Amino acid sequence: MLILTRRVGESIVVGDDIVLTVFEVRGDAVRIGIDAPRSVRVNRKEIYEELQRSNAQAVSSSDDAVDALRGALGAPADGAPAALQPGGPDTETPAGN
Amino acid sequence: MEHSTIARSRTATLPDRITFAAPIPGFEDERDFTVTALDAHGVLYALRSDKTPGLRFVVASPGRFFPDYAPLLDASDVSALGVADDDEVLLLVIVTVTNGITDATANLLAPIVIAAERGTALQLVLADADLPLRAPLLRQAG
Repeated sequence: MLILTRRVGESIVVGDDIVLTVFEVRGDAVRIGIDAPRSVRVNRKEIYEELQRSNAQAVSSSDDAVDALRGALGAPADGAPAALQPGGPDTETPAGN
Repeated sequence: MEHSTIARSRTATLPDRITFAAPIPGFEDERDFTVTALDAHGVLYALRSDKTPGLRFVVASPGRFFPDYAPLLDASDVSALGVADDDEVLLLVIVTVTNGITDATANLLAPIVIAAERGTALQLVLADADLPLRAPLLRQAG
């Protein structure tokens, strides 16, 4: 791992178009500004890891549990598809955000 | 920097197939999914991986459970979808269920944004860090 020492106001350039700037150091907290193209996803690491876990948990939902959920929402729970045509989401919700 | 917001459609039809334009965290190799309705109400859908048999996300249209959930989507945040500023996108939330509806939760922090006409999708981590990763589908009474 490359380790650099920077002072407040100083920056690090990663590649051609990513700039990290130290804005403030207070105690054990550091405020960092990140300038990156919008196509580069920037996330707090713990949130990203939590999202990975959450996604892994989501795909492990069992067929039985999903059928129970469908049943509770009014679809047949016996596995017979109620409808296989993808329809428009949110059609039960009044329009307007 | 441009900061136009993109409109969410409530009427567009989900495509039968979607391709993730950016990796799904934890599932970087899974890009292509088949979309299947799980009910007749337009609420639950399954996203099944084309590559890995049995890999399936259950997703929900958020309106039925979270009527106030209307995050602002910055056009540049979803630029990977290839949508223009005036295009509309659909929003689905990933559902996790262990036994049934009482323990079912939805990920409101990182919804799946779909450009219906293009068949592209991505999981977007919203800027509002207070949104829950595991919001119960059923509101707790009282």
